[in-house]
Formats: sequence, C-alpha cells, structure tokens
Amino acid sequence: MDVRVRDLGYVYPTGVEALRGVTLDMASGEAVAIVGQNGAGKTTLVKHFVGLLRPTRGDVRIGDWDTRTKSVAQLAARVGYVFQNPDDQLFSRTVGQEIAFGPRNLGLGESEVRARVAAALETVGLADQVDRHPYDLMQTQRKFVALASVLALDTPVVVLDEPTTGQDAAGVERIGSIVERLQAQGKTVIAISHDIDFCAERFPRVVVMGQGRVLLDGAAGDVLARAEVLAQTYVEPPQLARLALRLGARRAPRNVVEFLQVVREEVPFT
Amino acid sequence: MIALDAVTYTYPATAQPALREVSLSIPDGQFCAVIGANGAGKSTLCYALSGFIPHFFRGELSGRIRIDDVDTQAVSLAELVQRVGLVFQNPFNQMSGAKFTVREEVAFGLENLGVPRAEMQTRIARTLERVGIADLADRSPFALSGGQQQRVAIASMLAMDPRVLVLDEPTSQLDPIGAREVFETIRALIEERGTTVILAEHKLEWIAAFADRLVVLANGRIVMDSSPRQVLTAPELERYHIGAPRYVQAARAAREIGLWPADRDLPVTLDEATEGFSSSSSLNSTRLDLRNSRNSGN
Amino acid sequence: MLIYLTGRSGRLHGLNPITKVMLTLVVIVCGFVLPGVWATWLVFGSIVLPLSLWGGIAGPLLRAVARITLPFAISLFVIQGLFFPGGTPILSLGPVSFKAEGLQFALLFASRLFLLSSAFMLLLLTTHPGLLMLALVQRGLPANLAYIIVATLQIVPRFQARAASILDAQRARGLETTGSLLRRLRAIVPLVGPLVLGSLVDVEERAIAIEARGFSLRRPKTSLIDIPDSRAEKGLRRGLIVAPVVLIVARLAGWLR
Repeated sequence: MDVRVRDLGYVYPTGVEALRGVTLDMASGEAVAIVGQNGAGKTTLVKHFVGLLRPTRGDVRIGDWDTRTKSVAQLAARVGYVFQNPDDQLFSRTVGQEIAFGPRNLGLGESEVRARVAAALETVGLADQVDRHPYDLMQTQRKFVALASVLALDTPVVVLDEPTTGQDAAGVERIGSIVERLQAQGKTVIAISHDIDFCAERFPRVVVMGQGRVLLDGAAGDVLARAEVLAQTYVEPPQLARLALRLGARRAPRNVVEFLQVVREEVPFT
Repeated sequence: MIALDAVTYTYPATAQPALREVSLSIPDGQFCAVIGANGAGKSTLCYALSGFIPHFFRGELSGRIRIDDVDTQAVSLAELVQRVGLVFQNPFNQMSGAKFTVREEVAFGLENLGVPRAEMQTRIARTLERVGIADLADRSPFALSGGQQQRVAIASMLAMDPRVLVLDEPTSQLDPIGAREVFETIRALIEERGTTVILAEHKLEWIAAFADRLVVLANGRIVMDSSPRQVLTAPELERYHIGAPRYVQAARAAREIGLWPADRDLPVTLDEATEGFSSSSSLNSTRLDLRNSRNSGN
Repeated sequence: MLIYLTGRSGRLHGLNPITKVMLTLVVIVCGFVLPGVWATWLVFGSIVLPLSLWGGIAGPLLRAVARITLPFAISLFVIQGLFFPGGTPILSLGPVSFKAEGLQFALLFASRLFLLSSAFMLLLLTTHPGLLMLALVQRGLPANLAYIIVATLQIVPRFQARAASILDAQRARGLETTGSLLRRLRAIVPLVGPLVLGSLVDVEERAIAIEARGFSLRRPKTSLIDIPDSRAEKGLRRGLIVAPVVLIVARLAGWLR
C-alpha cells in the first residue's frame, strides 16, 4: 500500500517544530530506512502514519485514506507499528495471548486468530514459547514477541522503530530476513534505525532526516556515500562504505559482495 | 586480580545453568571484552564478577569467585561494592532517584561509604572532570540524554575508586552519539591504566581496536579466550552465532579472489583494512585482470 | 511534581528544615487544641500569614491552599448544612433547609483544614524535599523510608511519560480507549498491565544500581550537603516546644473550653 506524505509540518504542543515540510512517497513492496540523529523528526514522522499524531500542516495518506479522517484504531488495520520498547506493549499471561490481542481487536474469528498467531510465531522463531509468560523471556526475545504481535495484524504497511536494539548477530539476521520477506509479500516496510550497517544491508532505499527535514532520499548506495551530509545529522556511513570511500570509491557498497565489486571497478590504481 | 575458578551458576527456578565451569583470571589493569550471543551468559558473568551473584540473585553457585584475595561468597555484598563497580544497559534505571543534581548523584556512593565531606568534594570534582561531565554537575539526572545518564552512572561508580569496573552492554540502548561518548569515557579510563575494565558488548568495531583481550561465551561456557585479532578472525566464530566484523568478512572474501594479499593478516579495524586494500601492486594487476575479463564480455 | 519554589526572597528558604517542621507542627497543635473557630483563624493570622509574607510566598501559598480546601469546604457546607442530625434550620431553599449546627460544624472543620494545609504549604513551598529528607534522616528517620519518598517524587512524573507511550502503543494495536464504559473498562488491563510489569523490571534494576553504590552498608552515612543551622534557630526550636506543651496541658486540665 502506498504511503504518501505531502509537505508535512508538525508542531508539538510545547511549541517545538519537529517537522518542517516533509514530502515522501513510498510504494508497495518498498523497504525504506529512515536515519538521523535523535530529534531529527523520525519518530514524529512515522507516528503520523498510524494517526497517533495529526498534521499541523500538510497531509499523510495511507492508500486512499487521509489519516486526518481516520481514528488510530482504524489506521491500525493498515499500518502495523512495532514500538521501540516491547515492554510498553506486553501485558498478557502468555506469548500466544499477547500475539492474539491485535487480531482480536480487528474483530477476526477465533480460527483466523489462531492461524495468524501460529504463523507469526513461526516467523519470529518463538513457536516453542507460545505458552510462556512474556516476562520469562529475555528482553531481546520480548522484542520478537512485540514484532510477532504486529505481524499477526497482517497490515499492508509495517513500521519498525529501532528493531535491532540489543540484538545479537542471529537476532539482527532474523529481523533482516523478516524485512525481506515482508517486502516480498508486497508490503511497505519502513524502519527507523541507528544501526546503519543493518540499514545498508536490508534497505534498498534510505531517507536521511535532520532538523525536521529530509536531507537525502534515494538508493542506499548513493545516499550512504554522502558522508558530509550524513555528518550534519550525526550519522556515519556503514563500515564497508567508509572503507570503500577511503579507497576512493564514490558509491556505498551495501554488503561484502558489492564491496568487492566496488573495489574491482571503482577504486583507482595506487 | 579478579578471577573465577570453575564457576557454575544456575538462577533460582531455572533448569539450565547460566554459567558452566567458567574459569577466567583477569590481571590488574587489563581491558577484557566479553562477547557472545544473547543468553550465552554475558550478564550473568558480569553479575558474578561484581558480587551480585551470589548475593543478590541467590540461586546455585559452585566454584570460587575471587576479587584480589577476597572470596566473594565469604563477604557481604556491601563490602564488595567498594572493589567492583557495575554499569549496565538501561541508563535511566541507574539514576538512583534519591538525588536532585548530578553532583549529588555522584556523591551518593561516597555518602554511603561514610567518606568525609571535604574528601568527597575533591573526589567528586576529580571524577566529573575525568568523565567529562563537569558541565552537567548542577543538572537533574532525569533531564539528561541516555548517553549523558550513562556517563553519570559510570562517574558514580568511579567516584568510589573501585579496582575493577564491569560494564554490561552499556551502549545497547544509546544512539550513536551516546555510544561514542561512553566509549570515549571507557577509552580514557583504560589509558590511565589504573582500573581493570571488563566490558560485555555487541559492537565489535570498537572492541577490536581497544581491547587487550577478548573472551567468547556460548551456552554458559568460555569457548574462546585470546587477543581480539585472533578471536575476530577465527573462522569458527560463526559457530557461536557471532558475526565477524565486516572488515574481516570483506578481506576474507577478497582474499579468495586475490584482492587481499594472501600473506597479510585479516584486518579487524578500518585502518588495517584501508592499508591492506590499498597496499600492493599485485592487487592492481588482479584488478586489471578482472576488469579486462569482465569487459571482454564473459 | 515538586511544589518547592525557588527564587523567592529566601528568608524562609534559608531556615533549617527542622525549624520549619517544628513550626508547622506547633501551628497545627495550637490550631486544634485552642477551642473555637476564632482560635484557628487567630493562629493563621498571627503566625502563618505573617511568616508567608516575610518569606515572600504569600501569594502562591494562598492560591495553593484555596485550591486544596475550597472543594472540600463547599461539599462540607452543603452536606453538613443540609443533613446535620437534629439541627435548627436557619435558611430554607424550598423543601430543604440548612441547619445552623451543621454550618457551624462545617465552618470549624473547613477552618482547621485551611490551617492544616497552610501550615504544610509553608513548609513544603520553602523546603527542598531532598534537604528535608536529609534533615529527618539525620534525626532518625530510616534511610530506606526517606529514599522511597524522594525516589517516588522524582520517578512518578516519568511514569506519566511511560503511560503515554503505552497508550500510544496499545492504540496502535487497535485498542479502543474511547466510547462506551465497557470499552474503557476493557482497556484498563492492556494499559495498566505494561506499566506495572515494566515497573517491576525497573525496580529490580534500580535496586541493583543503588546496591552497587553501597546503599545497604551498615556504617553511618555522611552527606555532601551541609544543612544550614544557627544558634538562634536552635534556641528558637527549643522555645517552640513550650507553647504546644503548655496548650495541651491547659486543655487537658480543662482550662480551655
């Protein structure tokens, strides 16, 4: 489902102008990473997608819906939002019940709910934990429970807020493959992340935000090479990109394979 | 010196031990980093090194934990806190809540130790300088960023002059700026060479550059214990669900097609990688060959 | 959540917290032991009001006390006035009438409430809670209790921020929080659950953090902050004990009616 943002402006009740005219278009099947320093407006922006914030100026459309005309509960059927802190969402006695919460709110029948819970658990690799109390799990596993509860909503748009915090290599890998799978299903995946290497590897498109504006928006390979612009919002290029840039390349390689290509084709002879 | 001798520990009401036959001896002043998959036992190890296991967490403990000549099971936790400082992931939860300014927050531990006021003032001033937060002294601990709070937590421990500082994933919940601030603080501490530092982390890039020693935990056991270079370039690292640093991965793949000198060590830092990739003319000719073969339309 | 005001004339602010605690207690005892409504207002007018003016906090004090006591006073007057058993009616409004004794009772109660809250406001507006707790601990208040009070003051406001995050997160999962009473009731567990459970985790971590700084050490604690005190104040405190003691004895001996 398309997400369309037009000249979005937002001023908090405290008077802070968090967004100063953001325009973005995201299409079905796109995976977009949003990066930038704390306070750049990333979370403020994505909160508009599920209606938690209403524009002070401009508009946001999810498919054919103008978010200003829909309630949060209605938008939740189209936009699944995985919050940064899983403990802000978990309250059920078992992992299974927790994941069932969202689909039940959508009014789905019990058998459909059960099917979705099973599928979501399979995707996040917690099928054997279905009857455990969420707080018996490690915090990084609880993040997967929160992710599963949003996956069970099967929304056309999925928003992930710092999905890899605290995860080990296996966890990051799993989240990355979930992103790819969602993308392959034709969903629009939007992630806010400080883990720039994760963004480079899994997101073909990167949006760089700073001080309420979009500084860069384009292919990861191009955007992540623009070190001076990234520096304005305290973002460093990913590790392989930094190496490639030092060797004289102009593009940012997104993984080892691309790195080798870049070294072969672009790096000047010494 | 801080040492674990064949330590096996199981949390209360848990079937599997979190640490199994762990033996580790860390000499004074060393900077030892600990890595491992989540659930491998990093936090448990940190608690064992700081005395919270067994005193705070109960559970079943066998083996010995010694801090210098003191057996941690033989003394109270209160006596251990002067020797070992502990900093963990969540910066907000480490602000005591008992104090209204950063200066007082750093004083909290000294007050509990009964340090006289004049000495307290000197130690606090020195610690605030050392950690680079003197400009935050009059701010409320709860009005700070995560990175600033984490540095206040570190300062609060350092003020007590511990021999050892244990940090359990201190940058996990911080943004890149905060993480950088914390790493800078730790680095300054290490350069003073007075305090033994034990750091559990996932961010390999920084550890590779600064750690003296790298220990790998898997399923509660120590499976590797060596220099960062040896550990991070070892092919079996993947077996323990730890991703090798990207420089290592890139160089390893490059070596297979002749773009990395075969006789050169795999790089663990950006500088080493840069040097290696831009070094020899053999690379140039390989590149030229590859470019030519591609261009001839194969 | 701190009601402590900074930046005023500072006269009351500079006093030792215990002096102010004693003042508050003396005012309360006097106001309650002396009989009659007039005594309550006499104590207010001769002690509390002048002190608040001298300390430069009269305005905020009166506003705060009015906010606290006015709602109570109004309902007191209405309830006691209308329903005081066996009273003499003095004012009629259709079928119901206000009873004189009821109104008198309400007046006494409301006046005492006014005095009580103004005495506490005098203390709380001019005394930093950290300093107050420190002074009390130095005089024997258990350190654990003092910690709980101060930590609660500082951390509860953060609760509100967390509650807002939880509300957002659950609404984004389709939780309806507006509408029928039943819907709102059903929303309680998903909103309160994470707050409570998350707090348990936080509490454990914070316990480790303060433990790691020697909170449970059994030796006498020192303090970075030096609480201001003077011989004059010490003398004043000794003197302040006299008045309430005299009044209580007088009351018990039946000299005051």
